[in-house]
Amino acid sequence: MDLVANNLSYKPDNQYHLNEVSFNFKEGNLYTILGRTLSGKTTLLKTIAGLLTPDSGEIEFDGKNFLKVPVWERNVAMVYQQFINYPHLNVFENIAFPLKQRKIDQSVINDKVMDALKSVGLVGFENRKIQELSGGQQQRVSLARSLVKNAKILLLDEPLVNLDYKLREQLREEFKNLFSKGLADETILIYSTTDPRETMELNGEVIVLDEGKVLQVGPAKEIFENPNSLKVAEISNDPPMNIIEAKISDNHIKFEGIDVEAPQHLSKLTEDGLKIGLRSSDIELNENGHEFEVELAEISGSETLLHLKRGNTKIIVSIEEVLNFKIHDKIKINFKIDKAYAFHADGKLASSPFGGLNG
Amino acid sequence: MNFKHKYFFLFPGLFVLIGILIFPIIFVVRLSLSGWNSYNPGLDYIGLENYIRLFTDDPRFWESFFRLSFLSVTTVILQYVIGFALAHMVWKDIKFKRFFRVLFLVPMMTTPVIMTVIWRTFFHESLGPVNDMLSIFGVAPKWLTDPVIAKFTVIIVEVWQWTPFMFLLLLAGLLSLPKEPFLAAAIDGASPVRKFIYVTFPLMAPISIGAIIIRLIEASKIMDTVYVLTSGGPGTSTETSSFYIFIKGLREFQMGYAASMSFTYLIIMIISLTIIAKVLTKLLLKE
Repeated sequence: MDLVANNLSYKPDNQYHLNEVSFNFKEGNLYTILGRTLSGKTTLLKTIAGLLTPDSGEIEFDGKNFLKVPVWERNVAMVYQQFINYPHLNVFENIAFPLKQRKIDQSVINDKVMDALKSVGLVGFENRKIQELSGGQQQRVSLARSLVKNAKILLLDEPLVNLDYKLREQLREEFKNLFSKGLADETILIYSTTDPRETMELNGEVIVLDEGKVLQVGPAKEIFENPNSLKVAEISNDPPMNIIEAKISDNHIKFEGIDVEAPQHLSKLTEDGLKIGLRSSDIELNENGHEFEVELAEISGSETLLHLKRGNTKIIVSIEEVLNFKIHDKIKINFKIDKAYAFHADGKLASSPFGGLNG
Repeated sequence: MNFKHKYFFLFPGLFVLIGILIFPIIFVVRLSLSGWNSYNPGLDYIGLENYIRLFTDDPRFWESFFRLSFLSVTTVILQYVIGFALAHMVWKDIKFKRFFRVLFLVPMMTTPVIMTVIWRTFFHESLGPVNDMLSIFGVAPKWLTDPVIAKFTVIIVEVWQWTPFMFLLLLAGLLSLPKEPFLAAAIDGASPVRKFIYVTFPLMAPISIGAIIIRLIEASKIMDTVYVLTSGGPGTSTETSSFYIFIKGLREFQMGYAASMSFTYLIIMIISLTIIAKVLTKLLLKE
């Protein structure tokens, strides 16, 4: 039972929220929609759920026109980034709500709700009011509510974004467990996020969305190794990939007075306007390296992000330890140039270290 | 906190409270223990005589009270149902939403007494337009002079006049509801009807209780409609408590006896409204 969309467009107020989006989702798979805020992720999920009707295009599920099926008959489940529950019902009644909409025996409902409570770790909370729960617990309730109905399509719209750091890590772990248990083999799982790390960890098929347009589709590993354009490289890396305007000639990459030998996969590129892309983690501190000036140093968790500058070139370097730098300090860095990407002037990938295109 | 001049600042409010609430209640209680009437005006003391008469020898008061209960409960239920339906209708995005919202409020903006005069003309048995139209079907109900039909005429006018108030309260309530549960309900497989039963209605329960209680208090004072429409007639078939008390007190000038009825009425209303509020809360909020 595939979920197939053809050229979905949604354009209220003359602005594309979805722009000719097509996909083919197969049952039993996890799909991650990666995109920045306002890229159309929520619009896409709402369109699949039936809360929005696209201006043009079609969705087919199980060979039937999905757009003609009203929301309440679509058998989809959705978890929103805001924790949406029913404020007038307690935890048990909240989770039982989707089951009560069908004619199901009360004893079956009880069993299913208890199962769902177990899988999200909320046993003992049945009679609590929703308002008495923390954000993380509320989100677990809405997750349980979406699991309990065994929907054919499960939509998760940035389910972790409004949670604090620790809870996010914990729930993400639980998500992975749930997903790997293979919810049900016939479920299509669609997960939207802005976080590239989350995308890589979930390790599903990734759809990169930007301004309502699908930029690239592929397994997480493929998106990471061979982003097909500058845009995708930016979206799928956090911090975004460093982009450096450079010239390659005589087997050497030259920019801002720096001259490094080009790795093999870049050596054949000699065109003008070439852009070199390098991940912040592929630059390291080195006494014998090139001098850059610190513009900003931020410590995030156990790593330090350095915003560096040399001439007109600005780069971000992430270092896996906590270091203290002052603004305007001069430091020396080295590029792991064999990990560098090259993009054409129009933003398309020219060559990647993992063998994309010219490599 | 000790503040020297607090009584100075409390005085205006206290003065108004004493003047318009506490003094009248105490005076009514005292008045009810007197035999003040047109022959014998003055605050003499006759003990509980008025109350004994009320509880043993005045079926008309109790009849008027049960009639009032029937009228107020019926009108409030009808107002609630119609008001909710109208509010729900203009809550959704429909065409001319703003126009309808204002239109439904028009009856409330009119002067009740004048509108009742117009209704009386409407329902006039031989000259009114209602019977004129019904004559096509060969019927001519006695809107104002049949003891049973007259009650429903009062109900119709009351419902027309005060449904907008209910509509206003309920629409405000609907507009203040969170949107999220409705998104969730649709996805959870609730059809529009079930969505109303399981989400909209329970979420509206607190507002509904408030609106019903406010309207019940208002409706149990039905007086002007009855006065203008039927004057309690035919016979006493549309006479309500407040109208009966008005007749005894300000027409027959049995001030002492009317005071004892007023006070009894007040106590009954306080008790019954408290019970109704409790029952509604239990029923709708399950608490």
